[in-house]
Amino acid sequence: MSGRGLALVLDPMRATRRGAIAWSLSIGALVVVTVAFWPAFEGTTNLGDLIDQLPPGIVEAFGLQGFGTPAGYLRGNLYDVLVPLLLGWASISFANGLTAAEEDAGRLEVILAQPVSRGAAFAGRALAVLAWTVLLTASVAAFQVASDIPIGLEIATDRLLVTVVLCGLLGALHGGLALAVAGILPRPPVVLGIGLGVLIGGFVVAALFPLSDQLRPWAGLSPWDWALGSDPLLNGAEPWRFAALGLPAAGLAIAGLVAFARRDVRAA
Amino acid sequence: MGHMAGELATAISTAAVTNATPTAGIPTAAVPEAIVAVEGLVKDYGSTHAVRGISFAVRRNEILGFLGPNGAGKTTTIRCLLDLLRPTAGRVEVFGLDARRDGVAIRARLTYLPGELRLPERQSAAELVAGLGRLRGGFDPVRRDELAARLELDLSRPMRNLSSGNRRKVALLLAFLWPVELLVLDEPTSGLDPLMQHEFLRLVREARARGATVLLSSHVLSEVQRAADRVVVLRSGLVVADGTVDELRRRVSQRVEVWFAGPSPAAALDAVPGLADRESEGRRFTATLTGPIGPLLRALAAHEVESMLVEEPDLEEAVLGLYEEAAS
Repeated sequence: MSGRGLALVLDPMRATRRGAIAWSLSIGALVVVTVAFWPAFEGTTNLGDLIDQLPPGIVEAFGLQGFGTPAGYLRGNLYDVLVPLLLGWASISFANGLTAAEEDAGRLEVILAQPVSRGAAFAGRALAVLAWTVLLTASVAAFQVASDIPIGLEIATDRLLVTVVLCGLLGALHGGLALAVAGILPRPPVVLGIGLGVLIGGFVVAALFPLSDQLRPWAGLSPWDWALGSDPLLNGAEPWRFAALGLPAAGLAIAGLVAFARRDVRAA
Repeated sequence: MGHMAGELATAISTAAVTNATPTAGIPTAAVPEAIVAVEGLVKDYGSTHAVRGISFAVRRNEILGFLGPNGAGKTTTIRCLLDLLRPTAGRVEVFGLDARRDGVAIRARLTYLPGELRLPERQSAAELVAGLGRLRGGFDPVRRDELAARLELDLSRPMRNLSSGNRRKVALLLAFLWPVELLVLDEPTSGLDPLMQHEFLRLVREARARGATVLLSSHVLSEVQRAADRVVVLRSGLVVADGTVDELRRRVSQRVEVWFAGPSPAAALDAVPGLADRESEGRRFTATLTGPIGPLLRALAAHEVESMLVEEPDLEEAVLGLYEEAAS
């Protein structure tokens, strides 16, 4: 990559590094605190009894099955909802902040008045979104593995990493969606609204549709189901799940790029 | 130079001055050495017609004043030059290259100072210069420091701590830092104090002296009057005038006052073309004159004139007159 190409990726990353560090520390703190409470939880049977009294559908919807085991505890507290939700939210925020918000504020115009193509400028920002999503995912994995050592959760590292990577890919997919929307319409509230709406809607579909006999077949439409449907913390995941998340993420980002290259740049 | 520049006609030398009505498309002929050539440019936003078929050219090494009230279409036109906006119709060439197809090559040879200035809040001017330098293949740090000193700008302060005037100085520094062939300056002195406005004019003249061409969009008439060789005036998305500052001045009425040795020969001046608002009182005759003064001087030569006063019309009066003509 040329110096100009690198600048188109690294300068947006530099501009958003504070936000990325804040996201990393916040999700990391959540992981560490959750893991740190495992010994106290392990010795308590009350919560396990309470969960046993819940309807099976609710237990399944919120990932509470096997809550008394280390894997079930992590899944229910972190990887069924919170970590994928936060990684998705972060990726959408990066995408919005580096494209639609910059354009809406008129700051992108300063870059686009330089000898760079629209496509290169947008691709640089899309790669910056991807890079932050990857680094954030890696930091979650690092916090998880590091905090497991003193506590001794003894979950297979490969399944842990597969789960975190799938959560990261789920985030990247929603980041790609935000890039696609920003490429078409540079309105930050619209980008955030659609991105977060699809993220939360996908969770609802994957978590609640299986509770209904009529809706159950449609649960497979949710990216959450593609990412976490195999219960990767316990069972690992088939290769198609990675492709089902990664390829649309790339496709959506490219669609955003094409749309951005064809339309007017919004004035401040 | 591109084909279109060749087609663009003496509109530039004739249209404005001879055509008082707004033009949707100025008749074209060859414009030698055109750096910017715009022909039949139309830009619509839905049902709003921002630019309605304008044609003009910017010649090599000239300073073109781009005048017009707010909403006239100046910034829209400039953003089409930079390929930030896609024209609804018409053609835009810069350096003989197509603004859309060859945008990267074009922008490598120009700098742009936007009218609505939005700079990254957390960055300092030095960081911004370095970042844009990475996109432009570097910059001359000696030139940067020289410009910062001339503009009395502290490069280390974050943008959020700068006043609007100092932010404008950052933009000026960015516009004049690289030795480009074309400077596109949109309302460059907005928010600057008079001393800095003077410094800005010096920078513009220096750029021209080293061979650069300048497109100076402004509604500060005095600034354009002092800096520009030629003026294009826009009103409601149409070019209403295109010519030199002197030519524009000549379009506006001049107040004439003549003192005769004897009674004012008002009847003898009736046939002089361009005279209006005539008043005769004793030896004194006053009127307004539009157009060349020659016929009046020839008519006066037959009489004994003691003194004569012709007030110099200024560009502001000329341009305001054009705005009113276009509006009506």
